[in-house]
Amino acid sequence: MSLLRRVLVVLLIAALSAPVAVVAQDEEEPQMGQWEACADPENLPEVVTIGAIFGQSGNISVYGIPQSQAVALAVNQINEAEYLGEGVTLEVIYEDSAGANEQAIAAMTKLVEEDGVVAVLGPTLSSEAFSADPIAQENGVPVMGVSNTAAGITDMGEFVFRDSLPEASVIPGTVAQATEIFGLEKVGVLYGNDDDFTISGYDVFVAALEENEVEILDEATFARGDVDFNAQLTQLLSLEPDALVVSALAAEATQIIVQARQLGFEGPIIGGNGFNSPAVLANAGEASNGVVVGAAWNIASPDPLSVLFAEEYEEEYGALPDQFTAQAYTGAWLMATAIRCADSTDSADVRDALAAITDFPSPLGVFSFDENRNPVHDPVAQIAKDGAFAVLSAETAGE
Amino acid sequence: MDALTQALVDILRPLGITEPVLQFMLVNAILGISIYLTLYTGMFSLANAGFMAIGAYAGVAATQFLGMPLWLGLIIGMAVAGIISLPIGLPVLRLKDIYLAIATIGFGEVVIILLLNFDEIISSIATALQGERVRIRLLEGARGIKGIPKSTETWMLFAFLALLMFLLWRLHKSRLGRAMAAIREDERAAANMGINVVYVKNVVFVMSAVVAASAGVFSAHLTRIISPGAYGFDKAVDILSFAVLGGTSTWVGPIVGGLVMGALPEVLRFLNDLRGVFIGLILLGVILFLPGGLINPAGVRLLLRRARRALRRRADAAERSSHAAP
Repeated sequence: MSLLRRVLVVLLIAALSAPVAVVAQDEEEPQMGQWEACADPENLPEVVTIGAIFGQSGNISVYGIPQSQAVALAVNQINEAEYLGEGVTLEVIYEDSAGANEQAIAAMTKLVEEDGVVAVLGPTLSSEAFSADPIAQENGVPVMGVSNTAAGITDMGEFVFRDSLPEASVIPGTVAQATEIFGLEKVGVLYGNDDDFTISGYDVFVAALEENEVEILDEATFARGDVDFNAQLTQLLSLEPDALVVSALAAEATQIIVQARQLGFEGPIIGGNGFNSPAVLANAGEASNGVVVGAAWNIASPDPLSVLFAEEYEEEYGALPDQFTAQAYTGAWLMATAIRCADSTDSADVRDALAAITDFPSPLGVFSFDENRNPVHDPVAQIAKDGAFAVLSAETAGE
Repeated sequence: MDALTQALVDILRPLGITEPVLQFMLVNAILGISIYLTLYTGMFSLANAGFMAIGAYAGVAATQFLGMPLWLGLIIGMAVAGIISLPIGLPVLRLKDIYLAIATIGFGEVVIILLLNFDEIISSIATALQGERVRIRLLEGARGIKGIPKSTETWMLFAFLALLMFLLWRLHKSRLGRAMAAIREDERAAANMGINVVYVKNVVFVMSAVVAASAGVFSAHLTRIISPGAYGFDKAVDILSFAVLGGTSTWVGPIVGGLVMGALPEVLRFLNDLRGVFIGLILLGVILFLPGGLINPAGVRLLLRRARRALRRRADAAERSSHAAP
């Protein structure tokens, strides 16, 4: 029922916006799918089916539902633009993994062995990917994670891709820039140790700090759901660090920022990906000034394709997209581009075409895959100022 | 054996049950036996998920770090869980009913927190000994242990489940089995008849832990990654739901409950994000209308008797009305 309604809404919006789009068509208008590297495909069947595994129920649905919406948005645009050639439609079979490894395995088995899809997007969580991706690898079906940031995802095999920049690629740049701009010498590290996202952020922070010869005065940990960080913060701040380095998810991040400021800390707070949320800034209020975050994508990105995506997504679903949504949207376009360039529904051909994508213009910036099928594009180092993110520089950092 | 599995999967496939789903169903059946053992003795223990975690980590440590084959990992996982369960059981089993449930939930949380912080504990000990910061990564905390080969085969699960079922069947006819039932009915009466209640309860607790651990080892070698989060309170309640759905009046109940609960998310896959709601409704329906669970011979007999009586009454009434009519 909800799918039917969604399709109807999409059709309605498409019908209403079609005349507008014609009027607004301009030489300079940014648009997805203007990658000129390959010719129009000719040999594709009428329907090309790919699979998508996202956590649409359970507590990961906050990520999974927007991700499936973003894929639906991209697929509508792809079909409207006849990106895969005249009369060829791209279809997506959405499967729910509910955040459970067992269900991700079952969903992947169904898509790959029963439905015979050309390629798969997802699953949402890194742990699900570690469980389910080997099935795609064994069957020679390309799978692309759009929110898997843990280390070692693409080591599972040559059919495993991701377009989600791992923490390992985002944080070093942020730390290097912050070290230079703020002249950091010694820092305190605070991290959540019961979550694989925050803990892999912590790993990379430690490596990046070592690389930049910043001394770690002390480390403190907390658990998901904690609300009082005064003990850890007092302990760290008593050592008088130049900055606080924090790997936390959004809920804890807000409290940590507020409580650190209450304890009188005025230096920069360098955060992991969990800080990259408008909600953190809004909830922390004035305390958020001086929070430094690196991110694969942020809604404030000035890239025209990113602005366009944010507008279209908001218009369609009435909510602002987050980083994982932008990556899901880009992932669907990348997969469609690979099918288009391969001009074939053979999974091995699609894999090769996918691996060959370089300099693809996307909301994430100019996108390429490296030789290990990990994404390459510029992350953004940002600093919070007056409730909004600005690009980090010597000017924005100074008061 | 493989051909047999294949044939079974071919039959189940139209329902959405593929071989991996069947494997997790069988793991659930083993977990069902684990909770059946304690419930049959009248102990409301929710420690199964914790022992499953211990089994999974010990088994994976044996196969991955020490390079042992799966069967040896299985034995080690079961042994470690058994050894840990004894000192846990001795004090905890003095509690009854809901208090025992609370204590065993606490045990599960302790296991998870220890697994999450294991590396840090070891690291801080090493740091204290060596005088400089040492980082040891063994169990990987929340990252989980990755890259575990998928070495559990369907036939192993069938064989193991068959073995457990045989042992259960034998257990019911044994002295221990009768003692378990007596303790469930009335602990004091059982003690008065000379049954060593503390001994029997602890033996059952250890058996339950060992069975849960075996399920942990098998499932760890199916999911390819283990992380502490997968063995939390949610898992404990899942395992309890096998017993609730299947019923505990016979040992077949929790096994069937485990199989059905494993299959439902896949059979109902066409409902997409509403699956959880429907599974909840089914569970609620069973609790309300079949309080004894799906497999409940006594309940079925009662139902049949009632139905027969109702039929007879209706027939009598019909006869009477036909007599009354002129």
